Amino acid sequence: MLLSAKQDWLGNVRNDILAGIVVALALVPEAIAFSIIAGVDPKVGLYASFAIAVIIAIVGGRAGMISAATAATALLMVTLVKDHGLQYLLVATIFAGVLQIVAGYLNLHKFMSFISKSVMTGFLNALAILIFMAQLPELTNVSWHVYALTTAGLGIIYLFPYVPKIGTLLPSPLVNIVVLTLIVYLFGIDVRTIGDMGDLPDTLPIFLWPDVPFNFETLAIVFPYSVSIAIVGLLESLMTANVIDELTDTESDKKRECKGQGIANIGSGLIGGMAGCAMIGQSIINVKSGGRGRLSTMVAGVVLLILVVFLNDILSNVPMAALVAVMIMVSVGTFNWNSIRELKTNPASASSVMVATVIVVVWTHNLAFGVFTGILIGSLFMAQRLSQFLLVETDYDEANDTRTYQVIGQVFFNSSDKFVGFFDFKEAVDKVVIDVHRAHFWDITGVAALDKVVIKLRREGADVSIIGLNEASETLLDKFAVHDKPEEVEKMMGDH
Amino acid sequence: MTIMKKGLILAGVDGSNLSDAVLDYAIWLSKKSLAPLKILHTIEHSHHSEQVRHEGNLTPNMREQLLDELSDEERLESKKLIAEGKQILNDAKEKAEAAGITDIIAKQRHGSLPGALIDLQSRLAMVVIGSKGRDHEGQLDGLGAQIEEAIRVINKPIFIAKSTFKEPKKVMFAYNGSPSSHKALNLLSSMPLFKQGLEVHVVSVKNNLTEAQNLIEDAQTVLNDAGIDIIGKAMTGEAVDVLTHYQTMHNIDITVMGAFSHGKFHGFFFGSFTTQMLLESHTQFLLVR
Repeated sequence: MLLSAKQDWLGNVRNDILAGIVVALALVPEAIAFSIIAGVDPKVGLYASFAIAVIIAIVGGRAGMISAATAATALLMVTLVKDHGLQYLLVATIFAGVLQIVAGYLNLHKFMSFISKSVMTGFLNALAILIFMAQLPELTNVSWHVYALTTAGLGIIYLFPYVPKIGTLLPSPLVNIVVLTLIVYLFGIDVRTIGDMGDLPDTLPIFLWPDVPFNFETLAIVFPYSVSIAIVGLLESLMTANVIDELTDTESDKKRECKGQGIANIGSGLIGGMAGCAMIGQSIINVKSGGRGRLSTMVAGVVLLILVVFLNDILSNVPMAALVAVMIMVSVGTFNWNSIRELKTNPASASSVMVATVIVVVWTHNLAFGVFTGILIGSLFMAQRLSQFLLVETDYDEANDTRTYQVIGQVFFNSSDKFVGFFDFKEAVDKVVIDVHRAHFWDITGVAALDKVVIKLRREGADVSIIGLNEASETLLDKFAVHDKPEEVEKMMGDH
Repeated sequence: MTIMKKGLILAGVDGSNLSDAVLDYAIWLSKKSLAPLKILHTIEHSHHSEQVRHEGNLTPNMREQLLDELSDEERLESKKLIAEGKQILNDAKEKAEAAGITDIIAKQRHGSLPGALIDLQSRLAMVVIGSKGRDHEGQLDGLGAQIEEAIRVINKPIFIAKSTFKEPKKVMFAYNGSPSSHKALNLLSSMPLFKQGLEVHVVSVKNNLTEAQNLIEDAQTVLNDAGIDIIGKAMTGEAVDVLTHYQTMHNIDITVMGAFSHGKFHGFFFGSFTTQMLLESHTQFLLVR
């Protein structure tokens, strides 16, 4: 482990430092933009981004992933800040961190397996839409200068990389910021700048205990926000970790990441920063820039702080249009454009899960609600499908006046009505045999359905016997597990 | 009776200078113990992407694009490494066949050597690796970066080749009574190898000579029962110095001992006896944990 820790930190020094600087430059506008979304001074998001990046570099579970102040968490804070102010946000941030650490110890990262590809696509698309929508206030009721500047900014961001030689050396979002700031300054254009949005950091961050009464009332105010922040933060962080795992063909420690996110948020709250989590776009930029190790995340955080503390005078003159251009880039880059084409080709169930996730998020501004909706709808589709795996074959033995039902397949809440429907209760017979040895009863609804059938048949005067119930009801136990018994899986999928 | 018949002798080859010695000792062990030989080459991905771009912008579908680029790049490199490894394996296999071994498996695995050992260990009787691999070839002394991890991760005896093959004649067993040295004693007594004309020295170094003598007597009883004659020597002093001196004086070819009885952190702060022995001896090693 010492060896892998060394590799994580020093395995890629040159590329990590360069990538960290590139990321830091892109983080500055994002952190400011997300502060504006949350309704706090830019310094809150900037301090947060510094604290989270530096802490997660040390305690995170995914080397090379970038965490900082994010849109996903900022969106959840809006009403808290509006109603109760910054100090309560800091408490909510610290408390969200505590919840994330608890989640880490409880192994809640394992629930990520419930998040299907459709839900994940929906999450990213919704996030992209929300980031874009958050830019609209900067683009409505403004002079034509803002539109011109934003368009020019987008042009620089997407086209500058095609400029020979310097195109791939300088990060184009930075070029956009520098060029637009110079234009506004040189021509004296009167547009809104970052300085108009609130305080920028003028000192290094200091340790601060939030200035709130420590009582139950405070806890009651922040609790719902903290829960949302904790959940959304972990969702985006674990999804991003999966993306980086896939891109770099390496593995991450998800449990450590959960706890790390918690520690990072606590650290952020204690120096006056807002809550954050992993950033999917920045992490991809980091990988593209060659960042793989923990050092890249650390450099990103440290360089960000140096930039904003020492350049805050210059920074306050950056026009908002330059920031909006960066955020539109983030939004467009986060959206999964293939998913629109795939709406037609994917099964309707998959598409509806994706679309439902997006709609619920855009409606509630809470990514967690969207994810829960997506999981729920997806699970219903799955239950619907599994209930098709049920068949009852029947046979009549005239000599003994016996009707035999052979049940094959899965009996559970969603298939229990169908199960009952297979039986002919109007038929007057002496004996009924229900052979369930090729069936599985998955829940008490399934068992209740069998009971119902037996009682009904007895009422009609038949002698009922059941064959193979022990085997069929093994699956009823919550601790039923076949993972360590391959022969059990074969038995279930085959003929018993 | 023997654990050797059940499992494979695994030779970890990487085409380095010591790779030949590893193979030779593995062939020797395989022939002496009649165990099948497995030759393993691991493809270590220490890939650093060449396609580093600092545009810092996020273009539509960049994730998919980046995944394609990175996997294409690594695919080419993997193919090259696999081809190189195949060559190393083929040469090794031919050599083993020429030496008269019939039961040979030659395999490649992705990942680090310790990782591969973890995956394969249930089928192994013994592992043979070099004291340093390709990455540390230039260094005169020193140990490979993965050797301690390799020794620590598996619970099978591990043979460390430190120099070119020379038919072993004399074995020194360093016995200090620790749990791992007990295991080493059991291994010695159970392996047919040590009944085949090898001169077995049992050496005990303790602060107190009586204690050392007692240990020698214990070992003697066990080994004599197993049909192995020994030359016992009880000594006092600084264990590493005394043992390495004994190795030189008696032209010892293989040192057998327990390894890494202490945890990693103990070793980190106080230095490890095993590491010191490996560094300062010129013999081959058979280590048991």
